[in-house]
Amino acid sequence: MGKRALIVDDNENNLMLEKDLLEVVGLEVFEAKNATDGIAMARKLMPDIMIMDIRLPDMRGSEAAMILRRDKGTCDIPIVFVTASVMAEGMDEIKNVTNSGFIGKPINTRTFARDVIQFIKSE
Amino acid sequence: MMGKAYKDLETIKIIEDGAREYSESIINTVREPLIVLDQSLRVVTVSRSFYEVFKVKPKETVGQLIYDLGNRQWNIPKLRELLETILPQKTTFENYEVEHDFTTIGKRIMLLNARQIHRVLGKERIILLAIEDITERREIENGLEKTRKELESIKKSADEASEFAESIINTVREPLISLDQNLRVVTVSRSFYEVFKVKPEETVGQLIYDLGNKQWDIPQLRELLETILPQKATFDNYEVEHDFTTIGKRIMLLNARQIHRVLGKERIILLAIEDITERREIENGLKKASEELKELAVELKRTARVKSEFLANMSHELRTPLNSINGFSEVLYDETFGPLNEKQKKYVQNVSTSGKHLLQLINQILDMAKVEAGKMKLALSSLHMKNLLNEISLLFADMVSKKRITMALEIAEDLPDIEADELKVKEILYNLLSNAVKFTPESGELGLRAKKTGSVIEIVVWDTGIGIATENMEKVFEGFFRVDTPYSRVTEGTGLGLPLSRKLVELHGGKLSIESPGLNKGTLVRFTLPIESREVA
Repeated sequence: MGKRALIVDDNENNLMLEKDLLEVVGLEVFEAKNATDGIAMARKLMPDIMIMDIRLPDMRGSEAAMILRRDKGTCDIPIVFVTASVMAEGMDEIKNVTNSGFIGKPINTRTFARDVIQFIKSE
Repeated sequence: MMGKAYKDLETIKIIEDGAREYSESIINTVREPLIVLDQSLRVVTVSRSFYEVFKVKPKETVGQLIYDLGNRQWNIPKLRELLETILPQKTTFENYEVEHDFTTIGKRIMLLNARQIHRVLGKERIILLAIEDITERREIENGLEKTRKELESIKKSADEASEFAESIINTVREPLISLDQNLRVVTVSRSFYEVFKVKPEETVGQLIYDLGNKQWDIPQLRELLETILPQKATFDNYEVEHDFTTIGKRIMLLNARQIHRVLGKERIILLAIEDITERREIENGLKKASEELKELAVELKRTARVKSEFLANMSHELRTPLNSINGFSEVLYDETFGPLNEKQKKYVQNVSTSGKHLLQLINQILDMAKVEAGKMKLALSSLHMKNLLNEISLLFADMVSKKRITMALEIAEDLPDIEADELKVKEILYNLLSNAVKFTPESGELGLRAKKTGSVIEIVVWDTGIGIATENMEKVFEGFFRVDTPYSRVTEGTGLGLPLSRKLVELHGGKLSIESPGLNKGTLVRFTLPIESREVA
């Protein structure tokens, strides 16, 4: 497929699992362990999709997304948030991020890759 | 001869006249009304005082029949009896008391004295009647008698009062002491002796300060008795603390009254001494306990907050690695990156199953903690219950058919939509149906019924499974209570499904109850959910 995915997550296990699942379906996967690195890599790599944890060590995933949205180059990159809190509070913070979706934690290994691919296609 | 006789007669007459004059002057001098009657009871002479006392006039009197005097006012039966019956026989009567109501002067009490005498030189009888008006005297006497009786009763009541006072003094539980103006003990209540361990013989007549080996020489008491009491004649609830040699430290509440003795200028002082040591100890204990309780409440609140925070952190810290375990083992089991041999596949399945069980446990424990801490918030929305119930039952279709269990759905046509938290309602139904499937043997039956009942919907999940022994009826709501059965392994459940479901129902404002006729006789769980949300905070 040749599509590029950028995963931003500080948890190495999550990172590895998600990377493996996406690579299995043919995505080229890049990793960042914090928001700052993630933003920098996004600007450089211009990925087709970003998978971003809500809780990151340096800032909230939603804040990182807003920074990317203000940048012309990165404002259209679709973002899938991975969040443990599907409660109102968590939803509030991502609902203003355009072109975004979310996947609940823990990820379902059998549907994760399919859901991500679906999201790229629907854009 | 004749002359002499005449002269004698003259002399006698002179003597007689003199005697008459003398007796008349007596009659007119005595204050006591006196009346002289002839033998036919007609008035001969009347004393001036008679006129005055009985308000009759001389010309209406002399020569009249006594009974006719003053318009027949004197027609007194008793007088008639005295004059007509008693006097002729006895020629005298004394102190006959006659009460009579006179038209002119009202009711009078008279004391009658009479003498029947023969006139000098004649056969004529005359009657001397002395009438003493004793009305006033009698009134005075009666008054005196009354006064005497009153005095007697006063004295009696004074005696009674003092007796009463003494008995009060000896009856009240509060030690009471009465002092004379020199602060010497007059009376002491029995309780005083008991409380302060002093003996009567060492007490009465003693200066209060000297009681019990000068134990009562308390500066504060001196001030009260010598300074405050003389000025104010009373003091109330003075608290005095004193360390007695015999009975140790005591806190007393002193009340005193300075009173004047009846019939006397003497002052006495009534001093009531309430020993409030125990009461004060209890009060202090209560105060201390209440302070400790307050501290404990603060501490509890802090602990609860710490617990909530701890649980919130734990939730993240436990779930993150567990999610990795579950994720990786699932991928391995799916052989995404290459085939596993039979053993490997079996092991990784065990890892996965245990991981999922552990995750469920953690989630339910956290939910229980959240509900208990009042931190569980409901995300309310309108739920189409008919659809929701059908969806849920479909989730169990596989499991049910594997165990060849018959599942009956009875959903009322008019079952309304309700306002509730969708995830929570699904969780409740999932827990109850899981239990029903889990605890029902192969070829058994289970069912789901739902209907509207007033302002709530009632949902029943029933089965023909192992039921619940009567003694375990309440334990099933305690948490971690599980029954090992031939149809299920202990590891299959968390033991939290039912208690958590009940809490979630209650959070919605509903009720959850469980019924079972006994072991192996099936179970029925009934719960209600309000149609319109009334979330319980």
